[in-house]
Amino acid sequence: MYSLLKPCKTTAAIEAIPRERFVLDFDLCEEILKKSCTIVANASVLLIVNDRCEVSIHKDGRLILKTDDPILAADQAGRIAGWLEGTPALRKHRGAEGSGRRSRR
Amino acid sequence: MSKLVCLVSGGIDSPVAAYMMICRGVEIVAVHMDNRPFTDDKNLDKALLLIRHLQEVTKNPIRTYVVPHGPNHIAFAKNCNRHLHCLFCRRMMYRVAERIAEREGAVGILTGESMGQVASQTVQNLTVVNQIAKLPIIRPLIGMDKQEIIEIARKIGTYEISILPGLCCTIVPKQPSTAAKLDVVMCEEQKVDIDALVEKSLEGMYVLAPETL
Repeated sequence: MYSLLKPCKTTAAIEAIPRERFVLDFDLCEEILKKSCTIVANASVLLIVNDRCEVSIHKDGRLILKTDDPILAADQAGRIAGWLEGTPALRKHRGAEGSGRRSRR
Repeated sequence: MSKLVCLVSGGIDSPVAAYMMICRGVEIVAVHMDNRPFTDDKNLDKALLLIRHLQEVTKNPIRTYVVPHGPNHIAFAKNCNRHLHCLFCRRMMYRVAERIAEREGAVGILTGESMGQVASQTVQNLTVVNQIAKLPIIRPLIGMDKQEIIEIARKIGTYEISILPGLCCTIVPKQPSTAAKLDVVMCEEQKVDIDALVEKSLEGMYVLAPETL
C-alpha cells in the first residue's frame, strides 16, 4: 500500500506516501485500530500510538511516523496497511486507477 | 523596565524577536504553546534550550510558561472550518498570552511573526489575529527578510538550536486560508467553547523558573 518512505524535512520523522490515492473514514479506522493501538486523537488527523512509535494518519492515507529508524517506519506502515486494507474504512479515491495519475487526454 | 510576554516556538524567528527586545531593555516572560501530540517532544526541548541560551547570551533571567495547546487543536479540527485552523490556533495563543500577561504585569505580547513568511502571516490574517488582543502586539521582525533573521540567529547562536530535528505541526491544513475574514472566523469560533478552552489551557500550564532551565 505504501510505496515511498522519506524523511520529513526536519528529519524528526518519516513520511509514508500511499501508492494509490484513497480516502480514510477516521471513525471506522478508529474502530479497527483501537484493537491493536491506543488512539490519542481523532480530529482532522488520526493519531495512534502503539508499542513501537506514534503515527499521525492523514485522511489521504499519508502517515507521519515519529521515528528516525526507516526499518521501524516501514514495518509500522506495513502493519497499519494490513489492519486497514480491504476494510470499509479505506475507500479508493475516484479516479485512483493504476498509478493514480490523471490522464492527459 | 517594561515587560512583554513572548511567544516562543522552537523555530528561528521568535528567539530573534526576543533577543532584539531584550537588547532594547525589555524584560521577557516566555510562553511556549505545546502542540503535542501534533508535534513531538523535541519541539518543547528546543524551545526550552533556546530560552536557556537567550538567558546566557543576554544575562537576563527569563521565566517560562509551558501551555498545553493540543486539546485546542483537537477542538478546532473537529468542529470548525479546516482552512482557518491556523487562525484559530494563533488567536488562542494570543488569548492565553494575554491572560499570562495580566498575571505577570506585562504590557504587551511579543511575537516572531514576519510578513508573508507562512500562510497565517498575511496582512489580512494578522488583522484577524490582532482583533482578539487588547494588549499591543509587538512584532520586531515584521518587515524583515528571512535571510536577515537567519543572520541574526546565527550571530546570537540560536540558529543551530532552532534547526535541530523536531516535528512540524501535523494538524496544519493542506490549504490554509491566506485571506481570512474576521466575521467568518468569529462565526466559526462559536462552534467551540472558547472560554472553557482558555481556562483548560491555563489549568494545564506549568511555570519554569529561570534557574531550572
